[in-house]
Amino acid sequence: MMQAKRVRVNPFKRPYVVLMMEVIGRSLEAASQVDERIQNEVRPLPDGLMFEMKVMPDGPALVLQKTGATGLKYLGRRPPRKPDVVMKFKHVTHAFLVFSFQEATARAFANDRILLDGEIAYAMKLVRCLNRMESLILPKIIAERALKRYPNLSLPEKMLGGARIYTQVAKNLIRG
Amino acid sequence: MSKSYYEFFCPVKVVAGSAALEHIPYELNTLSASRPLIVTDKGVRGAGLIDHVLAAFAESGMDVIDIYDDVPPDSSLKVVKDIARVYREKQCDSIIAVGGGSVIDTSKGVNILVSENGNDLSEFSGVGVLKKPLKPFFVIPTTAGTGSEVTMVAVISDPDKGVKMPFTSYFLLPNVAILDARMTLTLPPHITAMTAMDAMTHAIEAYTGMAKNPISDAYATSAIRKIAENLPRVLNKPDDADARLELAQASTMAGIAFSNSMVGLVHSLGHSLGALCHLPHGLCMNLFLPYVLEYNLPERGDVIGELLLYLAGADVYAHTPAHERGKKAVQVIRDMRDELNHRCKLPRTLSETGKITRDQLPKLAQMALDDGSIIFNPVEVDLDDALAVLNRAW
Ligand SMILES: [Fe+2]
Repeated sequence: MMQAKRVRVNPFKRPYVVLMMEVIGRSLEAASQVDERIQNEVRPLPDGLMFEMKVMPDGPALVLQKTGATGLKYLGRRPPRKPDVVMKFKHVTHAFLVFSFQEATARAFANDRILLDGEIAYAMKLVRCLNRMESLILPKIIAERALKRYPNLSLPEKMLGGARIYTQVAKNLIRG
Repeated sequence: MSKSYYEFFCPVKVVAGSAALEHIPYELNTLSASRPLIVTDKGVRGAGLIDHVLAAFAESGMDVIDIYDDVPPDSSLKVVKDIARVYREKQCDSIIAVGGGSVIDTSKGVNILVSENGNDLSEFSGVGVLKKPLKPFFVIPTTAGTGSEVTMVAVISDPDKGVKMPFTSYFLLPNVAILDARMTLTLPPHITAMTAMDAMTHAIEAYTGMAKNPISDAYATSAIRKIAENLPRVLNKPDDADARLELAQASTMAGIAFSNSMVGLVHSLGHSLGALCHLPHGLCMNLFLPYVLEYNLPERGDVIGELLLYLAGADVYAHTPAHERGKKAVQVIRDMRDELNHRCKLPRTLSETGKITRDQLPKLAQMALDDGSIIFNPVEVDLDDALAVLNRAW
């Protein structure tokens, strides 16, 4: 049997996606504690709703669960049960394109890079939370690449704890 | 280098034109099927359309095994189960759906149950649950609009639980779509108009949306031209078989375009209005189309402007300065709607429907935001934006 040739892959890609999954998970958790808009999106979700964002076939991933009236709790990398809404990237490269802001989230959907499983209405609310969080913690120049439209907002100074890390990672990446 | 990417998929064989129905026995035979079950509704049967299909089977050496003609306007779990029972009892080996969106979706559900040997349809709900091809499945559309004959989705309601179950799989695509003018010839004018405007909206949203691609663009523009030219012809002369066939083809082509490039805000708003006020889907499309295009115009004017050629023809396009074509395209659609309102009483505004009050608009806007199609609209839409469009459509 012929052995498939070893090919060179970007060695930073997967670790970067792993890191970003955690950053996004923790940022959404933090954002749901301070941002009213995100709280308004979370409020109508069913109690205990579990959301997973993952790369096919078996990760990296992040798991969030609704807690309390408006909170999202970061549960780590493995769902403790079958999640209610799952957003799956078809390949780690596609997650990398989105997480390095080379492809907006909506563009990734339009490009068939993401599969959605579960109640669409809930998924749409979670996508809006994600967009809102990104618009808050990313520098404008980067957020403009991640979003279809950069909203008019006055950036609150003492934003989320994870903001600086997130920004720094993004900056490093764009610089190559 | 451009980073664009797209996917395009349509494995449905289209059998279209004169004496198309007579090709069905041969096509079934090719798929090793010989015992078809026809699934339809009372309206289609009452209009005598099934007779055309039965006549096509005469002298073919093949018989239609049974006809289930009791599909309600809203496909439900119970009906799907009922039809699956008939299919099994009569030992059928293929399904021919004859009808509009509800009949086609119901038949897709039936095909899942009989192919997977299941009893509980909810087990197969979701994306990509089905893993193997289903039984031979043919569709004969009797409304030129939904495009369901070339889509891989079905929505079936579970009234007991009060939910609508979505099914998405490549295996839900029919093997063959049959377009024969005889099957849409007697469709009443107002339904013809509504369904044609649904198809028009599919094509326009596919062409102007985020997921547009060169292949579906070709289907979309061709569909727009066919509808713009032939809807007036059919309304002038309902038994114009050529124009009817053109509309049927346009509907299928628009279906191919949007099943690959998706739809946008017209559908987000239309799905919500349809659900809230029980208005026909095509009516909602006709209502929202120009207001949404106007919303998208500042960012998408160039792409909308390209459609003027297909909506109004070469002369108008050539005589309109490039930067005005987008606006002009919307005006052409507005004129078209005025004409449809005049001839068939199709409402152009929310107030003209008489089915909704102004205080329901915020609820409608919220529902639209939660509709999956909104993500493919070329311009971002938030709650205030959606509400603004609804107010303009009032
Ligand atoms: Fe539609």
